[in-house]
Amino acid sequence: MNESDDRIQDEAQGRPVSRRGFLKYGLLGFAGLATAVGVLTPIVAYLWPPKVGASGAGGRVTVVSTKDLPPGAGEIFSVANKPVMVIHTVEDDYVALSATCTHLGCILFWDVERQVIACPCHEAYFNTTGAVISGPPPAPLEPYRVQVEGDEIVVEGGQG
Amino acid sequence: MEAQRRAKWSTRLGDWFDERFDVRIPLENFLKKPVPKHAIKWYFCLGGITFSLFLIQGVTGILLSLYYRPTPEGAYESILFIMNNVRFGWLIRSIHSWSSTLMIAFCIGHMLRVFITGAYKNPRELNWVAGVALLLLTMAFGFTGYLLPWDQKALWGSTVGSEILGIVPLIGGWLLGLLRAGMEITGLTLTRFYGIHMLVLPLLAFIFLGFHFVIIRRQGISGPL
Repeated sequence: MNESDDRIQDEAQGRPVSRRGFLKYGLLGFAGLATAVGVLTPIVAYLWPPKVGASGAGGRVTVVSTKDLPPGAGEIFSVANKPVMVIHTVEDDYVALSATCTHLGCILFWDVERQVIACPCHEAYFNTTGAVISGPPPAPLEPYRVQVEGDEIVVEGGQG
Repeated sequence: MEAQRRAKWSTRLGDWFDERFDVRIPLENFLKKPVPKHAIKWYFCLGGITFSLFLIQGVTGILLSLYYRPTPEGAYESILFIMNNVRFGWLIRSIHSWSSTLMIAFCIGHMLRVFITGAYKNPRELNWVAGVALLLLTMAFGFTGYLLPWDQKALWGSTVGSEILGIVPLIGGWLLGLLRAGMEITGLTLTRFYGIHMLVLPLLAFIFLGFHFVIIRRQGISGPL
């Protein structure tokens, strides 16, 4: 019996899908789906953002040694995948603030000469407490908890 | 039963395009070529396998380019990153590396088949020429790709390989300098090989592959021995 005989019989008995057709498309479909999943899974996983570096246990990150950050210096470090500005103030205090501008999200930089945090995008300035001095930002910078342990500066991630 | 059976969706989709572009007949003439009986043998598949490998190289190569950095400082580091940190990075890079080797092997296998069955003869001489160009392109892909990991093997392999160009009479030294972007292998060589590998060779490969396939469709495959 060939395929068209099958179809005539199936239609006569009111079966919309023949047994042969069901097996054929079912198996082909399953094989195709399995292949697609097998190929696409590694590709999607490959494109997924990979973990970059280890950001320390319990969200605590040792960012820099105190002797590499003299008074008046400020530098940006990655804490829990976010840029954090760590400043050693001229009053010998340590401050850690989010380095993402609250206006449109540009990454801030430390203006050594004026001792302020500046935004390269729209001429915004913040002081070392994170408060806005001038410019468009609607809110102050989020502070991070910062500690000096021995001669290492440690920042705690995820602190508001 | 319905008075009028609705045509299959694929037929209706085809009708939709045919109505607008009038392409069914020319496309059918071009694509519907039954494979002759004498050609239904595994060794007539070698060219198709080579092309499949080329497509795999395209996909994995694009994926690798998303993480690879073509600088002397960053290249090897980005390779380590792909192998150790990117999910399935080891798999994508290994497939790219193995397929490159296999592609040359299958290219040669395909050429042997064409040679032994005499398929290169009149009227198919130009397709043989295009095929030889594709073999050379494949080897150029392999040669330029070899430098990109920027490890010791890559550096010395490319040093020795490019040295061969230097023995061309009269203009050898000049060619060598042109290839290496200087008299030795530096970061300039790396970006040069990267550009050739990623842009120049794929473009040429597409041109020659298109030519290769259009000709084979036009002439059909050669008759039995």
